Amino acid sequence: MRAGVLCLERDLAEGPVREAMGLALALGVPVESFVLGDGLSGVPQAAGDVRMGVHPALGDPDPETAYQAALALMGDAPPELLLMAEGQLFESVGARLAGHYGRTAVRDVGRVELAGDGLRLVKAAFGGKAEAVLAGAEAAVVALRAGAFAQADAVPAGVESVGLDLPAPVERQVVRESKGEDLGRARVVVSGGRGMGSAEGYQGLRALADLLGAALGASRAAVDEGWASPSQQVGITGRKVAPELYLAIGISGASQHLSGMSQSRQVVAVNKDEHAPIFAAADIGVVADWQQLWPHLKRALGG
Amino acid sequence: MRSIVFLKAILDPEAPPGVLRFSPAGASGDVQQVLGPFEGNALELAVQLAQAASGSFVAVAQGDPAQDAALRKALALGAESAVRVEADGAFTDPLVTARRLRAVALSLGAADLYLFGRQAGDWDMGVTAGLFAGLMDLPFVPLVQRAVPEGDALRVRREIAGGYEESLRRPPLVLSVTNGPATVLRLPKVKDVMLANRRPIDVRAPEAGPAGLALEGLAAARTERAGRMLSGDPAAQAEQLAAELRRFRIGQGGVQ
Repeated sequence: MRAGVLCLERDLAEGPVREAMGLALALGVPVESFVLGDGLSGVPQAAGDVRMGVHPALGDPDPETAYQAALALMGDAPPELLLMAEGQLFESVGARLAGHYGRTAVRDVGRVELAGDGLRLVKAAFGGKAEAVLAGAEAAVVALRAGAFAQADAVPAGVESVGLDLPAPVERQVVRESKGEDLGRARVVVSGGRGMGSAEGYQGLRALADLLGAALGASRAAVDEGWASPSQQVGITGRKVAPELYLAIGISGASQHLSGMSQSRQVVAVNKDEHAPIFAAADIGVVADWQQLWPHLKRALGG
Repeated sequence: MRSIVFLKAILDPEAPPGVLRFSPAGASGDVQQVLGPFEGNALELAVQLAQAASGSFVAVAQGDPAQDAALRKALALGAESAVRVEADGAFTDPLVTARRLRAVALSLGAADLYLFGRQAGDWDMGVTAGLFAGLMDLPFVPLVQRAVPEGDALRVRREIAGGYEESLRRPPLVLSVTNGPATVLRLPKVKDVMLANRRPIDVRAPEAGPAGLALEGLAAARTERAGRMLSGDPAAQAEQLAAELRRFRIGQGGVQ
């Protein structure tokens, strides 16, 4: 079996991609990396034999361009185990590549083992309420849960740069409603819920997020109120996150929300209702009105 | 435009922790089966596109008869027909599912759009739409929040990190649909629900093929945490919380 990593050049230094590199190297099988980019950042720090697909449109590719580039780069014989970080690239091309190559695809995987000629994968299921063990496939495209694997400082064995001839990119207009953080990759996430009381109250969390270097998320209630954009929603009907630290502010802790953040390493909850279910899912709880707590916390953090 | 929308009924994902029971055979519990939230978004988009462009849509599901309620909801909202591919309620490799759905789609004739929910809330795979697009060799647009016909094309808005992206795309396309203000599933009229209950569902045997991934184990995950409450007035709580954040090596500028 061969293992490969597919990623964007711009993401090479990001933790989740470095985790994919680390896992590929730890499996003890031949490793290849497939890197898509505009070729402006020098030698790619990727694992094993590196094929670098270069095209100006690959600096920030649309899904179709990224897919065509990955196909061109991997050709007819991709590695049996293709590892990717959870995120937009996997969302756009991961499963589609798997279908093209007649392989299965699995996401949110927290453990990967080689079992004979096949794969054994452990993943979250049922909104994080369960853990499923899947086995039997001999090839797959796998998206890894951020934070579940050790990162590696990858040194390429050799680099082959391939200029790609791609169809014209899809014309698109991009609108940013927030700072554009990828919630799924953030190491710290601050989320606000209905308890923030108003759009202004919710937006006040931006100061805390900036102080902590965190991405700003939201509960479904905050999105339904129009205080946050759908792309910021954490929960069953939003993003699943697994940061090192998750702060839930003014969020009651409905099952819908807990499913999206239960894989977080540490959870801090602030809510003025001492009976809020979020406290049962938190490592540290603070029963307080956020508006009263925040000035003191800001001062204590040196903000 | 003619669409095929793929639906899935699942155990209510908003059931409180502890209600579902997990075993290597799968999940069970005294929980209602509901249409998956994102499949509801895909169904709403199918209804909108059929109405906007004098089109039609067919609803397809895979599973046991528990799926029929989802298909009847689609019939009540205007689906011209409904097809169920027979399967037990246990885990199915998503590639196997995608192959079965492709076989049904091909048998139904050409469609402009193939609509999926972003992710079913049981196995949390979120890969069936992409697999289907790869098998069909069709363009794939993920995380669609809105799609509006413009001539013979479709203006598609899709979610990206921190915002959205719009583009004009020409069918045939495979879309995975996510939630947003434009894809909230409407309620069918009572009369249409009653009529839908009398309509037939085309039940088919699954296409034969390799089983692929199998479920080897399924167990409850840790959800409860031994939470520690910080006491005192807000100033005292803030001091303790700041100390805890520093213990996580959080300071100005984020995780050190």
